[in-house]
Amino acid sequence: MTAFLALAGLSYVYLTLQLYHLGERKKAAENELISLRTQNDRAKAQIAAFTSRPALQRRLKEGFLKMIPISEANIVRLTISPRSPDEDTIQPVVNPSAAR
Amino acid sequence: MNPNSRSRCVFVCAAFIGLFSIFSFRLIYLQVIKHDEYAGLAAKKNVHQQKIYAERGMILDANNEVLAHNIPMETVVADATHLNNSNATVDLLSSELRIPSGQLAEKLNGGRRYIIIKRDVPAHTANALQEKLRAGNLRGIYFEHDATRIYPNGSMLCHVIGFTDFDHRGIQGVEASMEEYLHGQDGYRFIEHNRAGQEIVPYRGQERAPRDGYQVHLTVDLGLQNIVENEIDAAMQQYSPQKATIILMRPQTGEILAMANRPHFDLNLRSEAKPDQMKNRAIIDMMEPGSTFKIVAAASALNERKMRPDSSIFCENGLWNFGGAALHDHRAFGYLTVRDILIKSSNIGAAKLALSVGEQKFYEYIRRFGFGERTGIELPGEINGLIRPPQSWSKISITRIPMGHEIGVTPLQMTVAMATIANGGKLIMPRIVKSVTAADGKTISSLSPMVLRQVISPEIAREIGDALRGVVSDAGTAAAAAVPGFTIAGKTGTAQKVDPRGGYEQGKYVVSFAGYLPADHPEFVGLVVLDDAHTSKPELNYGGLVAGPIFARLAEKAARYLDLEPHEEIRKAIPVERVEKKLPAERIHKPASAERIALTNASHH
Repeated sequence: MTAFLALAGLSYVYLTLQLYHLGERKKAAENELISLRTQNDRAKAQIAAFTSRPALQRRLKEGFLKMIPISEANIVRLTISPRSPDEDTIQPVVNPSAAR
Repeated sequence: MNPNSRSRCVFVCAAFIGLFSIFSFRLIYLQVIKHDEYAGLAAKKNVHQQKIYAERGMILDANNEVLAHNIPMETVVADATHLNNSNATVDLLSSELRIPSGQLAEKLNGGRRYIIIKRDVPAHTANALQEKLRAGNLRGIYFEHDATRIYPNGSMLCHVIGFTDFDHRGIQGVEASMEEYLHGQDGYRFIEHNRAGQEIVPYRGQERAPRDGYQVHLTVDLGLQNIVENEIDAAMQQYSPQKATIILMRPQTGEILAMANRPHFDLNLRSEAKPDQMKNRAIIDMMEPGSTFKIVAAASALNERKMRPDSSIFCENGLWNFGGAALHDHRAFGYLTVRDILIKSSNIGAAKLALSVGEQKFYEYIRRFGFGERTGIELPGEINGLIRPPQSWSKISITRIPMGHEIGVTPLQMTVAMATIANGGKLIMPRIVKSVTAADGKTISSLSPMVLRQVISPEIAREIGDALRGVVSDAGTAAAAAVPGFTIAGKTGTAQKVDPRGGYEQGKYVVSFAGYLPADHPEFVGLVVLDDAHTSKPELNYGGLVAGPIFARLAEKAARYLDLEPHEEIRKAIPVERVEKKLPAERIHKPASAERIALTNASHH
């Protein structure tokens, strides 16, 4: 009986400590996750700032970027032929295997 | 044992039993009966609700370019009951966060458990502060993960996007109108701290995860917006107007492709902006539209079959006395067809068109074109404009309203009216929000075009459109609005500025041009409005000479951007200088004051 009580007491202490340590690990993992999300958000903010139009125009003015207008002669346009109205109507289909 | 001793023993035992019974009852009372009350008090002391902030949704343009997003920041908070060295903490916070120590000490001395010390603290500052607090063994200061709103494009589209307050609540523009979707829902967690102020994770209580805000996609195309912003800046530089507005809209769907106003402000420096710079004049400013309104008079007369496009109307050789007041044209016209009334912008002709349909019917058409009511665009603060019912019209109102006087319309209403002509007579609701999506890309809400009514028949809309093509020709009032390779339909407007104290301001005009391109299959409708432009010569302050060329430049660039295929060289763009030379000699040499006396009574081309 005494041994059982002692074992139960020790187990209780051990499990409580385990719970505490797991809590600490959980908190650390959460902090890591928050930190990664923060870094990600910060990187996204930087990308948005660098690719914004005012930023690109500033780079253009500074001479880091060059833009050349495309002349009309260099533009190839694909002329899509108008669709026949028959294409939209329901077409009867034949299932040869079923006909057999 | 003698009887005395026994009775003494019984008495002592009874006393003990009684005493322990009292203790037992007290214990039961505290632990069982009063359990909830005392457990609550204990929890109040050790447990507190930690807020988990939801991230505000992003605002994106039609091509998913970011217009508004969040950048992570920290909020420094304090629990005054956990402070172990107030003075040292105040000194450290004061130096690190640059807050006056007196102000900080006052905040911390209140004994409150949740004190916001400073918001929007950058992560590196927060990390440095955290290290110093740990090194000094200072307790009671905590950090909450937060975010601040950033607008990467600065002042571009500032009136449409709007901004948020310190609590991340939208207070202007789309930030305010789409608050419900952008805001998200904050979460919470009940946590317990140990004596050192650290969270005891196993004792975490109830928890609710936050739901981040949805992303709002606008109909605005930042490429077109950039073109519009550059043109409006150039116009501000060239003409120094008091205010300016440019709107581009897709007539078939009502999508606003670009919208810019001046004066404007930088969204990232909004605290420095003046109230006058924050107004979205496209929807909250009222103006007398001038001759652009003649399309309503012509449309009503044609749609009611009172006139045909080729019906001739006598324009009184430039001066008509009606209702005891004189009505002038800018030139003496004899007989003009309905089409020519629009092309040459005759005030007398427009007045006679409105008279042919009558006051009540004309008023109905004004309302059918959407004037006098909000367009319903998803932007806050839109006004109705001012259209008086016929009962309160004066005798001459029927001759003044057709030329865009005695009424107040917003630039957006005027754009929508022009889009109605471009869209075969269908009045469509303008929209600035395209869709709302969740962070995983799932569409929450998608807005489809909404046709409000068929204002005029498609045939009449085509007739009006044909006449408006003539406006942008050598015979019309806006030759300078022509774009090489494209057919353009449009109408100019020049209205004397209304004085808020009553009457009109001498020498001040609101000039405008509303048009669409290509005239046959319109891809976009545009409106250019300049309030009190300063031209080299006062007599050159006309819609066709000021707003027309601006429209031409931006329409050409927009057509290129949208990859509209130019037709065979329809015509060369006419430089403004050429148009100036074509002005009649008597107008150029006339003293400005004499010229403007006529303008006071009449709307112009």
